[in-house]
Amino acid sequence: MSGPDRERREGGLRDDARLAVRLWHFVRPHQAWLWGSLVLLLLASAAGLAQPWLLRLVLDQHLAPGKLEGLGALVATFVGALVLELVLRSAQGLLLEVAGQNALLDLRRAVFRHLQRLATAFFDRTPTGKLIGRVTTDVEALQELFASGVVTILADLLTLTAIVGILLWMSWQLTLVTLLVVPVLLAVTIFIRRHVRDAYGVMIGRRSRLNASLHEKSSGMSLIQAFRREADMRADFGEDNAGLRDAELRTVLWESVLSTATDLLSSLTSALIVWYGGGLAIEALGLEQAAAELRGAVTVGVLFAFLQYMDRFFGPLNDLSLKYTVMQSALTAASRIFELLDQDQVLPEAAQPVDPGPPRGEIRFEGVTFGYDPAQPVLRELSFRVRPGESVAIVGATGAGKTTILKLLSRLYDVQTGRILLDGVDLREYALHDLRRRVGIVPQDVFLFRGDVLENIRLGHPEVSEEEARAAADQLHLDEVVARLPGGYRELVRERGANLSAGERQLIAFARVLALEPGVLALDEATSNVDTRLEELLQEAVATVMGGRTSLVIAHRLSTIRDVDRILVFAKGRLVEEGSHDELLARRGAYWRLHSMQFSEPA
Amino acid sequence: MPSKRPLLEILHRYRWRYALGAVCVVATTALRLTIPRFLWSGLDALSVAQHAQGTLSAAELSRLEGVVARAALWIVLAALLQAPVRTASRLAVLGASRRVAHDLLQRVFDVLLRLSPSFFLRNPTGQLMSRCINDRNFVRGLSGPVFMYMAETITLYAIAVPLLLSIDARLGGLALLPYPVFLVLARVIARGIQEEARLAQEALSDVSEKVDESLSGELVIKTLAIEDSDYARFDERCRAYRRHNLRVAWLRALLTGSMMALAGLSTTLVVWIGGPRVVRGEMSIEDFGLLLTYLAWLAGPTRTLGFVISSMRRGLAAYGRIAEILEAEPELADPPRVGPAPTVGAGALSLRGLTLTYPPLSEQPHLSGSLPEHLVGSAQDRPRTVLRDVTLEVPAGTTLGVVGHTGAGKTTLARVLARQLAIEPGQVFLDDVDLCDYDLAEVRRHTGFVPQEAFLFSATLAENVALGRPDAPREEVAAAVRAAQLQQDLDQLPQGLDTLLGERGVNLSGGQRQRTALARVLLLDPRLLILDDTLSAVDPPTADAILAHLRPFAARRTTLLVAHRLSTVRHAEQIVVLEDGAVVERGTHAQLLALGGRYADTWRSQEDGAAQARRARELEPRGEPS
Repeated sequence: MSGPDRERREGGLRDDARLAVRLWHFVRPHQAWLWGSLVLLLLASAAGLAQPWLLRLVLDQHLAPGKLEGLGALVATFVGALVLELVLRSAQGLLLEVAGQNALLDLRRAVFRHLQRLATAFFDRTPTGKLIGRVTTDVEALQELFASGVVTILADLLTLTAIVGILLWMSWQLTLVTLLVVPVLLAVTIFIRRHVRDAYGVMIGRRSRLNASLHEKSSGMSLIQAFRREADMRADFGEDNAGLRDAELRTVLWESVLSTATDLLSSLTSALIVWYGGGLAIEALGLEQAAAELRGAVTVGVLFAFLQYMDRFFGPLNDLSLKYTVMQSALTAASRIFELLDQDQVLPEAAQPVDPGPPRGEIRFEGVTFGYDPAQPVLRELSFRVRPGESVAIVGATGAGKTTILKLLSRLYDVQTGRILLDGVDLREYALHDLRRRVGIVPQDVFLFRGDVLENIRLGHPEVSEEEARAAADQLHLDEVVARLPGGYRELVRERGANLSAGERQLIAFARVLALEPGVLALDEATSNVDTRLEELLQEAVATVMGGRTSLVIAHRLSTIRDVDRILVFAKGRLVEEGSHDELLARRGAYWRLHSMQFSEPA
Repeated sequence: MPSKRPLLEILHRYRWRYALGAVCVVATTALRLTIPRFLWSGLDALSVAQHAQGTLSAAELSRLEGVVARAALWIVLAALLQAPVRTASRLAVLGASRRVAHDLLQRVFDVLLRLSPSFFLRNPTGQLMSRCINDRNFVRGLSGPVFMYMAETITLYAIAVPLLLSIDARLGGLALLPYPVFLVLARVIARGIQEEARLAQEALSDVSEKVDESLSGELVIKTLAIEDSDYARFDERCRAYRRHNLRVAWLRALLTGSMMALAGLSTTLVVWIGGPRVVRGEMSIEDFGLLLTYLAWLAGPTRTLGFVISSMRRGLAAYGRIAEILEAEPELADPPRVGPAPTVGAGALSLRGLTLTYPPLSEQPHLSGSLPEHLVGSAQDRPRTVLRDVTLEVPAGTTLGVVGHTGAGKTTLARVLARQLAIEPGQVFLDDVDLCDYDLAEVRRHTGFVPQEAFLFSATLAENVALGRPDAPREEVAAAVRAAQLQQDLDQLPQGLDTLLGERGVNLSGGQRQRTALARVLLLDPRLLILDDTLSAVDPPTADAILAHLRPFAARRTTLLVAHRLSTVRHAEQIVVLEDGAVVERGTHAQLLALGGRYADTWRSQEDGAAQARRARELEPRGEPS
């Protein structure tokens, strides 16, 4: 049950550069580690490069002429270089890891922060599973970029340059011939790059889809089982799973081709050195010793060093090609992450939020039209006012747009036309945080977080002391309910509160809002799952707590809203009646019909 | 440590690919090892000639040229031969690793399909997803690159070590001396890496779980304006993950460092001892060069060995976490059977002393990391009895109403009968057969269960309704939608029955979701209908209309009706009042009213509203409603 997914082709080198710049933004705060690592790496490389040189000296100055003296010192230097390289490389790797992990942490935080800012409308149409993948798996792919990435590549390039320098100094002819391979290598890499990148783009898309599929199926597993759809779901999941596998197999194919090509070129270069370099050496052998030295001719030692350097030359080059594919994977992941960060479906916040003064609790809807899909308005030309301290009930058939009113009131969505005022200020002129602190909403779907009952009541508000939270809960007679639980207020809420009954969850959600003492309290069918006895207690508590506070109550049972000051009756997104219970009954209109249907004696 | 059998079974499936890969790795490595032979034969000839600098004849020089050209030619040949073999080895092994990862995940999913709902309650979805996706990636590394590097390393050792010893047994042996010591050291560090990697993977699961929680609770977080504290919780988990990763990195640096030291030590020994011997003429330059080259061949894989070992350990740790799911026992399973499976008949239910006690939390099977440690041994960590000695007879085709306070065990009872919760055998009988003796599918086929919270899949409304009968004709789906009173809402949906719902589509209101869930069941023909406070979010007039439609449907079925609103159950042939998991009152509506107990109290208080409404109506002027 998953729709088609985009499998886009990624852009060119320019996009890569742009991505790199944006990634750098996350690395920059940790660049000290990075530079440290680079310095160590260069030192390590120098120590590494010195080794063939020293061996060359061993060969040319001691072994070939059979001279023993000074050999010891040379070998000791060699050992020193070796140990130095080792220590430096280990330290360098660690520094790099620290930089990388810090940058990843920052990136995860940034993505999470951005997700928090995104408007509810974004989440209405983005599968949760996909987003989880972005924050975990895709960010993870970037670790490779940092671990084997920028610094190493930079160092590799420097090493390559240094090697070319040394080689030129030893024998420029041989060097030029050897480097003939480089353009070929470049051409091959550029050709394969496109394919590698595309393959990774497809792979990451498929992985997202698999994530979404898995998330949905695990969440709805009990239904799948109850309706015996296991076979279908297995096939469905199997398709997504196989899709990912096939995409991964394509990446393997291109990686293998690239890796083989580099390896082949490296061996051909060795052959070239032996053949051409050997020729040069032989030519030099034909000369007098003095003449040969004068012309800087190729000796066996030079040949040996050349071969060793070429090994070191192709090592990074081989690595570069491997890293290159890793980088492609990372960059593709990065582009998806940035795509999410660029997602600008954020409710605009006023640049200069208005200070609306102390909360009074006045709500005004003025000509509000709204639809989740603008073409399908849920509320049409809606106007009403709730006076400070007034309690107002909203009634109407399911789907009349009642819940939407609350969502607009806490500005989860922006209205399409008209405006909503709270305490005389347009909601859009509030700082979002201030607005939401003024409006306490008990939503229809109770959502509990991991933690215990008390933590859920105090949720995110350290200023609410444990005592205050308990007091709020006790007012709702939650103490009677938690007495049933072995952990009492410390009872752990497990996976979204599945260990609590629906009624208990609603009470907790209610206490959570009461603890914040908002100026406006909005309840969305908050009492539908509470049994009658608790409901009575609850209403009593609400009456006390709401004394003097504006409240907006959506309830399906008309019995629960008899005591409100005013009732608004909705039908199909419009306000059709308003007035007190008695007035509305006397009018014998929509409310009266609803009411008589509800309390009519069943036939 | 969980069993490695499932992994080995899957690996076995691809044994020919791995065999091919291994053969190719051996071939490539062998070919690669021939190159230094040619290289050094050329260099040696030159180096001998270098002693005779300037005195060589033209013939001698051209002989040398021949030697050098032959060496170069051999190198080219070997390289050309090596290229396809090398590609084949990578494709075989890396390809197999992707297939292994796929098969393993499919196997995990198969297990998930069998696991009981309680498993999904104990182990948050975010955690499961991380195991399935993130841990899978590390297992992929284990079955691919790690295998390849290991094969390469072993081959190199197998070929280079004898060669090394054949050139100079004493010097070669000396060079190899440090190896065993270091390999033992590596083992110790590797174990630490595995443990730390496991913790890191667990921490990543926590991150995943937190993201899942924050996204699912997005609305609450926004309306309560608790973004900052939610972020702090997320941050804490991300930091824990980084901490473990850095510890892994530290151990890995130690490991790769010691491996590099090992390679260096060998080379040093050869230069230190071999160098003077060459000078003294006890050893040819060719032998010395070959020794060094073979050691360099060994050094390469030895250096990467550190990395390979740590990847292997991380892969094993990740596999261990996946295997935990594979080993999870479904609490509900088909009973072992010899004879024919019983089939559901008319649907007569008989509960005989049904008692359900959950074991203490710490004794319930948890995936590692899913059980908060501070709970172990706490007040919450003790057995809980949620149903006590419930004895009931529900004749086929009758309705049982279940009422009671919040937390009294109503939902638990509904879930037991819907085969969502495991019970001990001998307590519940369906058509005089123990419920536990039926195959799960048989009971589920004949049970229509509508849970309190309706879950919708990302699919069209029609597909969601047809969940139990994907091939149901459109008219029947439409009829079920009408019976659930969803028809009136269709106008609001952009594409009516074909509107996409769920995460990728339209969000329905609570009442609409409940009615969709109800429509699902109406499309089936269950013997047993279980409605768990299904209409709580539906407005009463609609709920009444639904109940009216439901009555003929329910009349032919054994029905369990859980409700808060007593008017919902008043027509039931039998009503029970649950309290603290036990039946405290039972009878028909009239009997219970006459009893004057809890039911009667609740009825009176709920009726107050109705009474007031009636009074209001009496006060009104006479006349027909418009």
